Amino acid sequence: MLHRIEVVVKNKHGVRDPEGETIHRHLILRKGYSEVKSVRVGKYIAMDVEAETREQAIDKVRELCERLRLYNPIVHDVEVRVYG
Amino acid sequence: MPLTTEEVEEIRRILGREPTLEELAMFEAQWSEHCSYKSSRVLLKLLPSTGRHVIVGVGRDAPAVELYPDTAVVFKIESHNHPSAVDPYNGAATGIGGIVRDILAMGAKPIALLDMLYLGDPGNPHANWLIRGIVRGISDYGNRIGVPTVAGDTFFDSRFNRQPLVNVACVGVASRERLVLSSPRPGDLIIVMGNATGRDGLLGSSFASKALSDNVDSDIGAVQVGDPLTEKLLIDAIQVLVGEKLVSYIKDLGGGGLTTAISEVAAEHGLGAVVHLEKLHTRQSLSPLELLVSESQERMLLSVEPEVADRVAQILEKFDVSYSVIGHFDDSGRIRVYHGGRLVADVPARDLAKPKAVRRDSRPPNEALKGLQPLTRLPTPPNLKDAILKLLSSPNTASKRWIFEQYDYEVGIRTAVKPGYGDAAVLRLLDGSCRGLAVKGDANPRYTSLDPFTGAANTVAECFRNLVAVGSRPIAIVDELNAGNPEKPEHYWYFEMMLKGVAWMAGELGLPVVGGKVSFYNEDSQGRQVRPTATIVGVGRIRDVRRAATMDFKQLGSLIVVVGATYPELGGSEYLSAIFGIEEGEIPRPRPATELRNAKFVYRAIRRGLVRAVHDISGGGLAVALLEMAVRGGVGFEVDLSKLVVRGDGRFDEILFSETQARYIIEADENAVEELIKYAQLMGVDVSIIGRTAGGGRALLRYDGGSITVELDEAASLYERSFEDAIEGGV
Repeated sequence: MLHRIEVVVKNKHGVRDPEGETIHRHLILRKGYSEVKSVRVGKYIAMDVEAETREQAIDKVRELCERLRLYNPIVHDVEVRVYG
Repeated sequence: MPLTTEEVEEIRRILGREPTLEELAMFEAQWSEHCSYKSSRVLLKLLPSTGRHVIVGVGRDAPAVELYPDTAVVFKIESHNHPSAVDPYNGAATGIGGIVRDILAMGAKPIALLDMLYLGDPGNPHANWLIRGIVRGISDYGNRIGVPTVAGDTFFDSRFNRQPLVNVACVGVASRERLVLSSPRPGDLIIVMGNATGRDGLLGSSFASKALSDNVDSDIGAVQVGDPLTEKLLIDAIQVLVGEKLVSYIKDLGGGGLTTAISEVAAEHGLGAVVHLEKLHTRQSLSPLELLVSESQERMLLSVEPEVADRVAQILEKFDVSYSVIGHFDDSGRIRVYHGGRLVADVPARDLAKPKAVRRDSRPPNEALKGLQPLTRLPTPPNLKDAILKLLSSPNTASKRWIFEQYDYEVGIRTAVKPGYGDAAVLRLLDGSCRGLAVKGDANPRYTSLDPFTGAANTVAECFRNLVAVGSRPIAIVDELNAGNPEKPEHYWYFEMMLKGVAWMAGELGLPVVGGKVSFYNEDSQGRQVRPTATIVGVGRIRDVRRAATMDFKQLGSLIVVVGATYPELGGSEYLSAIFGIEEGEIPRPRPATELRNAKFVYRAIRRGLVRAVHDISGGGLAVALLEMAVRGGVGFEVDLSKLVVRGDGRFDEILFSETQARYIIEADENAVEELIKYAQLMGVDVSIIGRTAGGGRALLRYDGGSITVELDEAASLYERSFEDAIEGGV
């Protein structure tokens, strides 16, 4: 069975995100959306994974993210979840 | 590296009381190896640092050298080895940010970046990930601030798999009157401009002053993220501030953060300072200690007379650069730091800025004997054609297109000689004249790990040759010495010998070493040092960039001239390493007098228009150099190596792949040869006419009783493709 798995990579809490800060400060706040208090930018990856269960699909993706260095565990938090 | 018991004792003596927590943190940051050079300062004095072109030498954020009477070049080198081992992308990117700000501090406009990368085996998954991250970090940051990466150097070896060496350099130019050469005066305001201070990079210098721990996660505090947009704003704002002569001094907030910046400025000018920490703009609520030692990136310190402070503020606001006026300099000689009205630190600037220099113990390890061993038993020569092709495919030789094509090397249209075509990059001044400059970075980690003195001397000579080979006159160099743990005598010895090698060769060649950096603790978690490496970046003056020489063969039927005699010198060569996996033996001898003579000859030949192409002979020897010229130009050649001037009685592969110094290959028009030979005889330079460029798409190398034929297509495809394949494939 095919499962759509989503991966979101973003800088860890406590690690700066200049891209998010720039969008926030130089675009959003400048255009008057002062109710927006912070912006974080990350990377979104969607994968369709063949596996018997969702859990197996998630485990597989988690493993490949780690092994193939789709993120740097020292800098990034990774969230692996099922679509929908 | 925490302070030692003796150091804490010393601090008590300086203050005459128990230090506060804030004071201890300031001393820890400033007395770290990274900021204080405590283990290297005694020896660094050996470097020849003065010369008639030197405007500002060692001491400021970056040195300035007279390029032309009206124009100065400002350039500096920096390492970001430790941050890049933990977070290759951001580690390398923030290295670029730091070195650019050093150039800004002199009031110069940054025009070019160089990256000297000594990296692991591309086939190793971890090293491969580091390589990709480092190159992308440099290219993203450099491209976004609009400064082209024009040149560099690379070397790949498994000993760099976990701890790579990332050395970056920046070159800037300024008219002489724009250079910020003034000093801060008592009463000048201290302004911090740029990014808000945060908890990122807390005590990063202290982190760089110890070996990598196995548990890198615990080093999270030292992770910093590059912010090229803010950097670009700093660049633009400083150009305006300097243009209007509004600042008396500029300094980068780098390693050691605010503490280092203020204590160094104050100590250097016999001043003191009063600082109110609560005035600093911050990203989050920080303790006074954190404010003092945070190494948040993209921040700079300005010293400004109170009368012009409003105008400075106006300009910073116009550029949308955040800033805060945090205090002023005075003539007390003490740094007084307040937080919310409370005095948290009160230390004498001089004592803080300069801890006692340490003369470290230094002792050669047994392993160093490998570099003294004459090569008496060479392995049986392989098929020489295969060996040539294998060398052309080695990541150390093959084209680095995969790297430099990620860089926007043409932004700013200054680049007159593109990466891959010249031994050095050639840049236009863009002032309406044809004047320009050449710049190149070099190192040979294999040489310096076999014989640090000779290897470092050869690196200075190689940089010198590269600058000459494009037709420039070398005027100054900076050095970066990457070494192991200075507390271990057998590591420190490599540092000491590299430094002495640089000092000796630079002195002999008349090249002032105007600045540099030292990076210690480049060892893995088992305490093994990576290859000790001396990196040299040099700048040359070129009066007419249109006459710059490139290495590609231009025409059929030109004569091929080798400048310099060849000795059988295979120790530490790319040939022995790539073909046999052998790394030992005496490395090639530095020959400074020959180096100067041959350089003068080549420089004159280029200026007189007697050459079509020039290439210096280095890793891989004559065979590789000839093929590089052929592949680049798409023109083949036929040479007879029995015509080569050879000293000693070497085997043919020894001649073909020897890495003897002070040699160049010239492509010359037939009509120019008479004049070339006349000059050579006058100047006492060995030259040999070994053959001609030729069509037919092949390279033919004859020698006594045999010949090697290499198809140019095959060589070109291996040369162009191998490195990319090594990076992209098989991992």
